[in-house]
Amino acid sequence: MSPSSTDNPTAVITGASGWLGQNLVRALAPTRERVRCLVPDADSGPPLELIAPSVETVVGDVRDPATVDRLFADVGSAASVFHAAAVIHPRKLTREFFDVNVGGTQMVLDRARRAGVERVVHVSSNSPFGANPTPDDRFDEDSPYNPYMGYGQSKWEAETLVRTAHERGDVAAVIVRAPWFYGPYQPSRQSQFFTAIRKGRFPLIGDGTQRRSMVYTENLVQGLLCADRSEKALGNAYWVADTEPYALADILATVRRALEAEGLTLSGRGSLKVPRVVSEVAEKVDGFLQGKGRYSQAVHVLGEMKDTIACDIGRARDEIGYDPAVSLFEGMRASIRWCLDHGETL
Amino acid sequence: MASITTEVLVIGSGAGGAVTAARLAESGHDVLVVEEGPWFDADEHEPFSLPEMVAKYRHRGAQVALGNPAVAFGEGRCVGGSTEVNSGLFHRLPDHLAEEWQRTYDIDDFDPATLARYATRVETELGVSTLPTAPPPSSAALERGATKLGWRNVEFARVFRYDEQGRGTKQTMSRTLLPKAVSAGARILPDCRVLRLRLHPGDGRALGARCERTHPDGGREILDVDADHVVVCAGAVQTPALLQRSGVRRNIGRGLKLHPTVKIAARFPHPVDHGDVPMHRVTEFAPHLTIGGSASRKGQIAMALAEATHDIDDALADWDNVAVYYAAIRSEGSGRVRAIPGLKAPLITYKLTDADMSRLARGLVHLGEVLLAAGATELYPSLVGGPVARRLDDIGQWWDRSTRSNSNLMTVHLTSTVRMGNDRALTGTDSYGQVWDHPHLHVNDASLLPDAPGVNPQAAIMTIASRNTEHLITSL
Repeated sequence: MSPSSTDNPTAVITGASGWLGQNLVRALAPTRERVRCLVPDADSGPPLELIAPSVETVVGDVRDPATVDRLFADVGSAASVFHAAAVIHPRKLTREFFDVNVGGTQMVLDRARRAGVERVVHVSSNSPFGANPTPDDRFDEDSPYNPYMGYGQSKWEAETLVRTAHERGDVAAVIVRAPWFYGPYQPSRQSQFFTAIRKGRFPLIGDGTQRRSMVYTENLVQGLLCADRSEKALGNAYWVADTEPYALADILATVRRALEAEGLTLSGRGSLKVPRVVSEVAEKVDGFLQGKGRYSQAVHVLGEMKDTIACDIGRARDEIGYDPAVSLFEGMRASIRWCLDHGETL
Repeated sequence: MASITTEVLVIGSGAGGAVTAARLAESGHDVLVVEEGPWFDADEHEPFSLPEMVAKYRHRGAQVALGNPAVAFGEGRCVGGSTEVNSGLFHRLPDHLAEEWQRTYDIDDFDPATLARYATRVETELGVSTLPTAPPPSSAALERGATKLGWRNVEFARVFRYDEQGRGTKQTMSRTLLPKAVSAGARILPDCRVLRLRLHPGDGRALGARCERTHPDGGREILDVDADHVVVCAGAVQTPALLQRSGVRRNIGRGLKLHPTVKIAARFPHPVDHGDVPMHRVTEFAPHLTIGGSASRKGQIAMALAEATHDIDDALADWDNVAVYYAAIRSEGSGRVRAIPGLKAPLITYKLTDADMSRLARGLVHLGEVLLAAGATELYPSLVGGPVARRLDDIGQWWDRSTRSNSNLMTVHLTSTVRMGNDRALTGTDSYGQVWDHPHLHVNDASLLPDAPGVNPQAAIMTIASRNTEHLITSL
């Protein structure tokens, strides 16, 4: 996306070495004077700093006041904050959701206020809204909160902190709600997704007509930049996803075509047909484990696979000029290519 | 066996019982108040001192809600109840909570405007005010630290009256509403514990109570009270325990709410006061999280220091420069009070969620930030093994140190073990505290609040009790 004369010269990015962060840093680094990045460990800094001279990294924990002070040191007011740091799959305990997603957000909002930055763009999720009641339903900006499990609850609480901070004049904020991502710089867990589909082992729950909104990372980055630039966006939340939600069966078929187009051999017969009840049981098990403070990624993902989680991007199009350019097939091809270029075996 | 007759028996003399007794007696009704604890002269103990704690708290201030982690708590057990020992902060129930409770529990006549009318009367009667002079150093420190960080903070009003020299006296129930009740003809019996309520075996209505009275010489006697109406105001722990012991169990004792609290003993490079409790509160993170100051006599300081480390000699020798502060949260967890047959004390349990534990860790970190900004040089957190912090870089590790096994939690705010409202599935009493299916039996204390108020509950308790008593009077 081309730079705009109104862009703030400084960008502060939390979660900069994450899946979305890597894409966002690369989009901002060429055009902003300074891109200040928070990364969780010393190894994550240098690869980002090689992108452009504008990139600076601060190593530490988003929950740590001293770290977040360093992140905001001398950023000045002509700055935009992109708060993308969050825990989506805790290593073990669900408390991480709350520590990082709520505690970290509070810390960033507080320092953003003290620094007097122009704007905070907060990356949220579909999880504060649960699942759509029917496959034809779409979440819009007026949908009621209905947090799903620990992650959904933590991202809901984070949204309320951001809204409160905006409403009482601490920071000017915009919330961007992104569903399931795909795209380059994916974590290794995502390679398993491609491998499972290639081998025909990805579980297709029920008849596959449940719909899912997905967002290609480049589309999401565009949405974040729109949220940063639009005057009208202030104080609002927007759903940012690909143009339309997809039926789960179509997602799997498209990925298989994309794998084939990138020269990979398919095996199996499409996908592993799994009765819906398996996903329902997984959801119960997930709820039980999370009630005990435990988290299992496989169980959690399986429990969500039966649901329609779909949003309408109409308001982001109309109000902030978001216009997703990349289609599912192209985006999946690019993601597969990225994996192969980075030595992943799919 | 002695017996005594009254029109209305009020059990307990704290924030709920005192306002109930005063309103009834002033309307010309015959009132007997029974109080388990002793009746002290109001000036007998130094405020916020350990001797006061030992004398006026139940079990000398050492009670616990079991769980992982457990939560230590204190409640008053004396004429005047917890109003004799608390910090006297008087904060009206926030309007948004009143509206939420009215909706969720279907409570009649519970809109903010109605409650404000009752709150105003209580405030005028007690004398609720802010300081006439500059705040003491321990409170000024909070104000200074918060202002430096740009955090919202406020001096909370307290139930204090000040003389011409600016000396304040806390307007406890034993100084205010109880004397009012007595001069309007109410009788108060201290050292009188209710063993069980007497209920009609057929229609369940209240007939009175069987009590055990302790005389100054230590001798005990059983006292039967016959009453037309019984109002139980024994607090969120003792009220459900008494109801359960008397066979009233439906929706009684469940849904206990409290404000779990973490603490820091902060050492300053200058003396801080110890005779009063800070009246400033950091409200930046309210209603989920509130920061304030605690009683900080030498005994409390020693206990607070020792939670973080064994190496307290140096800081304790310097105790004049140390004060204790807290962060309290609204908790989404809940607990239960259960009377155990044969045991005097009920079993109390409380379950904290992961979100609660995380919020407590955050509270400790924010509390550390504001105290360092206020100029504190050493911070002793309420975590087993600390670590003690001296600069901002030291406090981030408290996040991971704040585990269920390392956290020392306490509370002084317990509510919601009965709950009021028309929704019978959620409540133990109707919208005015009359116990379901038990005519003439009422509850009128912290147990009725459907949820934790997020602020010091005394104002909410007195406002609601005042409202309910007025309703009761219309039916007498």
